[in-house]
Amino acid sequence: MIELLQNLIDGLGRGSIYALLALGVAVIFGVMHLLNFAHGELITVGGYAAYAASNQGWSWYVITPLIIVCAVGASLLIERIAFSRVRGASDFTLLLTSFGVHFVVSAIFLLYVSASVKTFSRPRWVTNTYSVGSLNIEVFDTVVIVVTVITLLATTWLLQRTMFGLALRGAAADFDTARLMGVKSDSVIRGAFALSGLLAGIAGVFWLMRSGSTTPSAGIDPMLSGVLAALIGGLGSLRGAVLGGFVLGLAEVLLRSRLPDGIAPLTDGVVFVLIALLFIFRPQGLITVAHAERV
Amino acid sequence: MKFKFLIALLAVFSLVAAACGDDDADTGAGDSGGTESGGDGAGLDIDAILAADLDACETAPTGDPIKVGMAMDFSDVVGFVDIPGSKLVPYIAELANCNGGINGRPVEVQVAEVGDDASLAAQELLDWGAHFLIGPPFADFALPILQATEGNVPLFVAASTEPTLADASINSWLVTFDDNLMAAAAAQWALDNGITRAILFTEGEGVPYTGVNPDAFKAHFEANGGTVVSEQTYVWAADTDFSAQVNEIAGISENNEIVYSAALGFQVTALRGQLEGQGLDGLTYAGTDALDATGIQFEDNNEGIVHTPHVSIAAGDRNDAMLAGYEAAKGEALESRGFMPLYVDSMFLGIQAMLDCGCDDPSQIGDAVAAISGFEGLSGTITYAGTNGIPPKAVPINQIVGGEDTLVDTIG
Repeated sequence: MIELLQNLIDGLGRGSIYALLALGVAVIFGVMHLLNFAHGELITVGGYAAYAASNQGWSWYVITPLIIVCAVGASLLIERIAFSRVRGASDFTLLLTSFGVHFVVSAIFLLYVSASVKTFSRPRWVTNTYSVGSLNIEVFDTVVIVVTVITLLATTWLLQRTMFGLALRGAAADFDTARLMGVKSDSVIRGAFALSGLLAGIAGVFWLMRSGSTTPSAGIDPMLSGVLAALIGGLGSLRGAVLGGFVLGLAEVLLRSRLPDGIAPLTDGVVFVLIALLFIFRPQGLITVAHAERV
Repeated sequence: MKFKFLIALLAVFSLVAAACGDDDADTGAGDSGGTESGGDGAGLDIDAILAADLDACETAPTGDPIKVGMAMDFSDVVGFVDIPGSKLVPYIAELANCNGGINGRPVEVQVAEVGDDASLAAQELLDWGAHFLIGPPFADFALPILQATEGNVPLFVAASTEPTLADASINSWLVTFDDNLMAAAAAQWALDNGITRAILFTEGEGVPYTGVNPDAFKAHFEANGGTVVSEQTYVWAADTDFSAQVNEIAGISENNEIVYSAALGFQVTALRGQLEGQGLDGLTYAGTDALDATGIQFEDNNEGIVHTPHVSIAAGDRNDAMLAGYEAAKGEALESRGFMPLYVDSMFLGIQAMLDCGCDDPSQIGDAVAAISGFEGLSGTITYAGTNGIPPKAVPINQIVGGEDTLVDTIG
């Protein structure tokens, strides 16, 4: 029972990071119908920024905002250089563009930095624990969960209580009608990319604190997790993305812990089988989204 | 008349036999003697090559070139070793040519990136006329190259420890020890140091590298009195959150085990941090050459971690001097230092074989490679004679002691 509770907390911690990533993916999908496979590159960029800053001896008090700023900047830059050129193109073109961005960013770091793993110091407190009864809870998990909840509340406020949020939601529901109503498409799309970058940056801080390393392809795993979580929750649904993140995190930790030893190496495979089963019975994901198709 | 004819026939036969005997001696004992005497077989003086001064070269060699083909992967899969390796080998060839070449023959190196088609890259090098090839580790890359060579051209899989890639019958040669020997050495070190309980991290039984190393560790450890108390799974090069595994280990550990895996440096330190967070601060951590490849020396919280590099480079030794020489000449420090001698040795082994057989035909060069014995390379003594392509080299055991990566033992 204690181990199960421990796993649940660990799963919520991991799921929190996935939720932030998925939310970033969902925001872009909502506005552009773009499943952004370059989303993980924002963490790659943040990772190399952390590596450079760590080499300069900077503390995580500085590295943390640096990662977030780099992720937001990279997100806006990618939108400007790549996605603004194909705005209005088919979903398939957008998808291919996002793949292209992923490969280009990866190749830039490979060619001009290194193919080797670059490591940097993790904050000391990341592996500290505290006890609650028989439970040993990681400080890291606690911080991740708290920061994620705060971020989600702030994002909800932004989307529900501000003009930008209203424009974003309007664009997500029906982009063309929103434009007819006076919503500026450039501002909304750039705002969406900035928000997506901010969420990726916050997730990236935790991802990088845990890994203490980066490589040219470091963005693949967070990207896959974010996209999967968004798919599980229901593409286009912000609440679904968050739910999908927590479900994915819990599933990974619980399966890793509970599967018999003989099939434990297949944990990721089992996760994917469960996701496939989910899509058979609920192709729309956990939360159904009703919105107009772009034409 | 018939008697005289018989005598003459016997005389001719004896001369032919004697001539053949001389040839045998050249490719066998004589050449082995050369290699056994320190890699200084006729025309190959490694120390003299490394000592060459690029600012004061001898007369440029004018003979037919010795052609070294390098099929290398520049992606982030094995680019961490192949990129610096493909820079260092041409530099060493430059030094060899500066030193007058090999018996008056210049050494030419051509690098072909394997990209998505390693066999195409290999074919490009074969068409160029490569006498032998140096290839990337991992079967995904090496096997297509072997398809291109069809066993007729020697392939040195420089940085690989994968036992399945070694096959003398198809001219495929490892330059270092394999996974089985590497993991067994780590297990032996643990037993020698009184550690009798082990926790393994694996990607699954029989999985190349990530599973084979823990398998081999377990086999040696248990056969010699140790007990594996837990086997955990993880995703290599990806997982950095080991919460689920740590919870399980916390329930069974006596805080005195060795934790062994083929994980990368940042994974081992992440795992260690989480285990120590649970109060398990008495564990010993050991890993493979992956720790050297991913810079365990530069990680935080690395004190006491044990690993098995291919070469333990000490300040001022000839490998250190070679790498410093490259840096001085090219203005760039090479990464994955412990792997670099393997790439240079690959070239020297091919050249040694050419000198031994006195031939340029890749197939004959392959036969000469198979006969190499006691070659004193930069990465240690290499013998292929009597093996299936895996040289039985000693395994260095390094440990981070006082923040320094220190050679603490050599096993085998």
